[in-house]
Amino acid sequence: MVKVYRSTVLDAPADRVWRDLRDFNGFAIWHPLIGSSRIEKGHPADKVGCVRNVQLKDGSRIREKLLSLSDYDYTCSSTILDSPLDLSDHIATLRLFPVTEGNRCFIEWSAEFEVVPEKMDAISATVGEGMFEAGLEALKKRYGKR
Amino acid sequence: MKITVIRSAVIDASIDDVWAVLRDFNSHDQWHPAVAGSRMENGLDSDVVGGVRKFSLTSGEEIREQLLRHNDREHAFTYCILDSPLPLLDYVATVQLKPVTDGNQTFWDWRAHFRAPGERAKELENIVGTQIHEAGFTGLRQFLVQQIKPAQPSPQEAKAIKTAVFVGEDLPSRTVVVTSAGKPESLTLENLTVSAPDPEQVRIRQTAIAVNRQDISHCRISTTDVDIPKTPGMEGVGEIIDVGRHVNGFFRGDRVVYLRRNPGSYAEIRCIDADECLPLPEGVTDVEASILLKGLTASLLLNRVFQAATGATILIESVAGGLGHLLSQWARSMELVVIGTVATEEQAKFSRDNGCDHPIVVTNGTVLRDEVMRITKGRGVDYWVHRDGSHGLDNILACLKSCGHCAVIGDCGGSPIPLDFNVLQRRSLTISTPVVFDYLTSRPYLQRIAHQLFTQLQKQTITPTIQTFPLSQVTEAHKQFGTEEAMGAITLTPDP
Repeated sequence: MVKVYRSTVLDAPADRVWRDLRDFNGFAIWHPLIGSSRIEKGHPADKVGCVRNVQLKDGSRIREKLLSLSDYDYTCSSTILDSPLDLSDHIATLRLFPVTEGNRCFIEWSAEFEVVPEKMDAISATVGEGMFEAGLEALKKRYGKR
Repeated sequence: MKITVIRSAVIDASIDDVWAVLRDFNSHDQWHPAVAGSRMENGLDSDVVGGVRKFSLTSGEEIREQLLRHNDREHAFTYCILDSPLPLLDYVATVQLKPVTDGNQTFWDWRAHFRAPGERAKELENIVGTQIHEAGFTGLRQFLVQQIKPAQPSPQEAKAIKTAVFVGEDLPSRTVVVTSAGKPESLTLENLTVSAPDPEQVRIRQTAIAVNRQDISHCRISTTDVDIPKTPGMEGVGEIIDVGRHVNGFFRGDRVVYLRRNPGSYAEIRCIDADECLPLPEGVTDVEASILLKGLTASLLLNRVFQAATGATILIESVAGGLGHLLSQWARSMELVVIGTVATEEQAKFSRDNGCDHPIVVTNGTVLRDEVMRITKGRGVDYWVHRDGSHGLDNILACLKSCGHCAVIGDCGGSPIPLDFNVLQRRSLTISTPVVFDYLTSRPYLQRIAHQLFTQLQKQTITPTIQTFPLSQVTEAHKQFGTEEAMGAITLTPDP
């Protein structure tokens, strides 16, 4: 199993950031790689079990299912159903923690998945840098970082 | 009223550096401004889950807290309050660290859940949030800035003697043998050979061999009984030369220490059952480790044979000796009041430096009972560690407080100990005659208390004084043992 973990500190309160991140259909608004996003079957984006159908800017498609959403501890997790990436048993978790000192927040984004050993480095980089770091960088610009 | 207090911060240091400090449940007195003193109860290591730490706060009050969860993988621990001067009820708190991967920073989440009386809820919430959690963030930041890396023991210091090694061959070993009637002069060095180890054994090139009281007794009687080994010595420290084919977990070059009931350690090289060896940690020198038997005896006397309460009085006979000075340091670290007997003013000074509050210089005219009663203002002592067999037991019992204990250690020369049970019963006194080896039959237990001893040596909370003699001067070492000049422990070091 491969584990990918990235985190940073955002210069905005957790409540403010969570308002954006809890929208499972809203990633296209802030993530630079995502071109468009829709929730299948017209379900609301905060219905656990809904499927997000995302088109990346490079044209490829990813279908992800929302596994959990918690307004109580600012956590959302999802799994990839279909993607061009050669991985399986994927689960990703995005979580915010308030930083009470300075009224900021800490954000962590992690994923666990299975991958054939030959492709481990390449796919870890795609997920870790392509998806997570790019996303966190965009959020830092959006909310600023001290 | 149920209260949750969450405080969190970002620290400008790597998670490894922050966790290195925080994972030590006993470290708050080094970095938290509200904590003046911290110690683990029962001498447990600070990462033993279930362990209890006792804080003395800068305000003078005390708090006891118990470690409930400790997780190196998650960089987290959880603890609860057992006793506190404030009404913090059902208090459970968790420290959780997370790495900030796009910089050399650490996210620190510190949260507490508790109940409090409604009228004090706001006040207590504020105390926990600011004076404990937020003050801790500030304190740790300052500590990390000022922190000087602890000095590592130099590799030379820890390195055992390296000589050419011939794995599997017979090796010459100069070995001490008792040749005639038991006087120190009868100890002679003989050139013997030591064969390769048996399947379950390791062969050790020894670097430090303690002289113990048992060795002196052994020399006195050994020639009278043909079944007793001719070579004295209960313990040794050294480096493994080679290992038997069934031995698991030890390798050539490992530093080990052992002790065993059957004598035979006064030698350059010997084979020993691997089961009896303990690996020697970094930061403890070979000579320091040679006090294993005395250190474990002290540990057992204070933690197992009789547990004296904080502030109780202990009397240690021969407090300037090898066992005595360790026992005295250890008792003092447990906040006992230490009285000790010595032979000279020099020994009295030495024992004061080793934690003895009241050394008594015993001369021919000394009435020990009067001295003890004078020092304790007539109250007597709680615990008496007696070294001299049956001699003077009546007077000792008279000096004990009610429910007091006398541990008689060392052999009594075979003579019967006269004892009137009525004397014990009248004041609930107890007597024990502990023999260390009887307490150490379980290897996990031996490993645990040896580890505690090594930790004390590493942290220098126990600092033994050890006089070394070359193995070839074993006669001089034995002559020195127990004399008025002897202070601290005596250890033989085979010539390289």
